[in-house]
Amino acid sequence: MAVVKPEMKSYIWLQTVDGSIHQVEEEVAMFCPMICQEVLQTGMGSSKTCAISLPHHVNPAILDMILDYCRFHQVPGHSNKELKLFNEKFVRIDTKKLCELTSAADSLQLKPLVDLTSRALARIIEGKTPEEIRETFHLPDDLTEEEKLEPLRNITDDPRIRLLNRLYARKRKELQERKKPKDVAVEEEPKDERSVEDLLSFINGADGEIKGTRANKNKKKNRRKDQTKDLSSKNANENNKGLNLLPSAYHNVNFDKALEASSSKHSRMQTLPDVNFSPKFEFIDGDVDDDLDPAVKEELDREVEDFARRLNSDWPERMQILSLGQGRRLVPISVNGNGSTHLYTSLCYFLGLDHYVCVEGEELQLSS
Amino acid sequence: MVDVMGPDLISDLPQSIIESILVQLPIRDAVRTSILSSKWRYKWALITQLVFDDKCVPFSNDREVVEMSVVKFITRVLFLHQGPIHKFQITNSKLQSCPEIDQWILFLSRNDIKELVMELGEGEFFRIPSSLFNCRKLTRLELSRCELDPPHSFKGFVCLRSLNLHQVLISPDAVESLISRCPLLESLSLSYFDNLALTISAPNLKYLYLEGEFKDICLEDTPLLVEISIAMYMTDDIAEHFEQSSNCNFLKFLGGVPNLEKLVGLIYFTKYLSIGIDSVHLPIMYHNLETIELYQVNFEDTKEIFVILRMITSSPNLKELQISGSSNIPVAVDAPDLDFWEKGCLLDSALNKLKTMKLSEMGGWPHEIEFIKYLLCRSPVLETLSIIPCVFDMENNLKMLIELVKCRRASSRAEVIFIHE
Repeated sequence: MAVVKPEMKSYIWLQTVDGSIHQVEEEVAMFCPMICQEVLQTGMGSSKTCAISLPHHVNPAILDMILDYCRFHQVPGHSNKELKLFNEKFVRIDTKKLCELTSAADSLQLKPLVDLTSRALARIIEGKTPEEIRETFHLPDDLTEEEKLEPLRNITDDPRIRLLNRLYARKRKELQERKKPKDVAVEEEPKDERSVEDLLSFINGADGEIKGTRANKNKKKNRRKDQTKDLSSKNANENNKGLNLLPSAYHNVNFDKALEASSSKHSRMQTLPDVNFSPKFEFIDGDVDDDLDPAVKEELDREVEDFARRLNSDWPERMQILSLGQGRRLVPISVNGNGSTHLYTSLCYFLGLDHYVCVEGEELQLSS
Repeated sequence: MVDVMGPDLISDLPQSIIESILVQLPIRDAVRTSILSSKWRYKWALITQLVFDDKCVPFSNDREVVEMSVVKFITRVLFLHQGPIHKFQITNSKLQSCPEIDQWILFLSRNDIKELVMELGEGEFFRIPSSLFNCRKLTRLELSRCELDPPHSFKGFVCLRSLNLHQVLISPDAVESLISRCPLLESLSLSYFDNLALTISAPNLKYLYLEGEFKDICLEDTPLLVEISIAMYMTDDIAEHFEQSSNCNFLKFLGGVPNLEKLVGLIYFTKYLSIGIDSVHLPIMYHNLETIELYQVNFEDTKEIFVILRMITSSPNLKELQISGSSNIPVAVDAPDLDFWEKGCLLDSALNKLKTMKLSEMGGWPHEIEFIKYLLCRSPVLETLSIIPCVFDMENNLKMLIELVKCRRASSRAEVIFIHE
């Protein structure tokens, strides 16, 4: 009578979050660093009664998958091709399972598997539109339109970031402006109402004809040279509305204001060539134009290129003009940002000047 | 919203996994995740690896436009980024020297940069700012087409393990001092240097890759070297220098690398080693050397053949040998010195581990044939000998084949494969 000896194999006992106990071959289980550590440090897992509790991310179905992975990979001698094939097949699962697998692998400290699943998730995300990504992963679309356009809230309280954000917001508004029919003067809701009021009262209504004609503004240039920054901010809305109406004169005026040039230079300002300063300055975040459809984006890109080329062709003249103003604080580019600011900052940028970022704290007090 | 679709699958994963996912995305896609949902707004800003390649901005035919958008993009990303940046890589062929680079490197030096790779486009070399030398935690540095000028007070990168300089303008002293001041250096790669006489002192160095016009290479203190690959180009200066040299280059170069596992030599390397080789008896054995690859060997020069034989016989555990001849068809040589092969100074020991041999650019010249015969007789476990002729000349190849067929073989399993395509 032959006695059949049971196979002398070692097992490790694991317990998943739902309470069920699983018996796993030792070499397979020990492939997971977390389990290995538990066994070596606490001696648990050697029998049913002292099964190792697995982290809560690991449910039985996922555990089976992970063990399959371990079972394959812990055997030495697989060719690179075999490994690659196995791995590719392994991650051909639905997104939900993939995420669960990633989470579980991470809690078991199985880094190669985490890398593999992360790469698979990255491949899913790559090239998709935001809507598609949200749908795939069930992400709530809980950013407001403004938030989507304004890249990042400044959570480190860095004034420069705040400036940048405001500039973005302004630009976004201008972009939206463009989308609307051109001959409609849209009433723009300024971002910082409070500050505009402040400025208005500060200026004491001197140039209170905010909606005045361009001719008026030209005349009042000289008086304004000390109030450049306020004017810039005050004109926040102006710019947006006016852009489509009288481009050349308008731009000359704003350019002049932005530079805080002395009166003697005003005449020179007037002779600036009539460049079509499109409000869409790619310089800041053309790259994050994700919610615009491709046709608009292309148009934007083309316009920016155009603009850049034109700017660069007028380099010597502009250089001269700008350098005259450099001694002063050109910086009163207001925190509120507006068309003229954009104009100036983009010019600065294209010309390699860094002034636009050098906004000091005091400017910021104007706005919230 | 959430109820209809189902629970959020991914936003609550730990940042380490999110980072793992985001760094495997192109940087543009990673940054765009900021508009997915409120939880995702800043996830991208915490990633510790930033890689900017040729695809990070939209394509345009105008290089300057692309350069501008790349510069803007990188500046913006750095500006909005939070937290440490461990890896920063720019490999963009449209970007050339521009002033913003200084600012970027300064920024990185304040953010715990560990791996820095800058490979810009062809054009003006940019000058590395001194802020690079303040990056104390640097473990990997890879630079292409730039000027590097370490300050006198520079004490070295104490954590640097990998250094790769390609077409970098730097004075020879500065290079040597840079190498010797990085005590943990394990991998060194210098390419396209002109007229450099280099002494390398790096006690932890394991991998060495050199390519360029080297007058002289001395491995002074590199006991842990495991893999060497050298491509030595020739200029008239160097040729002259070679002729006048009285050193034994073999000793100078390979004298202190007992742990060597793989040696690859290209272009004039074998010639370089051949200088002074007669004069010394070489006691060194390379017990770990398993792979030798020597290219552009001039079989007409018996000294070069001697180099190969010396190398082979000093490597009892050699498994793989690849030799490539010069494709220069020699001018008719009067009787080649075949006595060379008869001389007893060549060791008679067998190559007991040699399994694979590949000989390419073979012209069928007498020395080559003798070489093959010599090896076939002494490799009892040889499995494959591949021969690739350098000219598709039927008659020449036929002559070669006839000679080969006559060779005695020590290994009964040896397959001689003549590749004639």
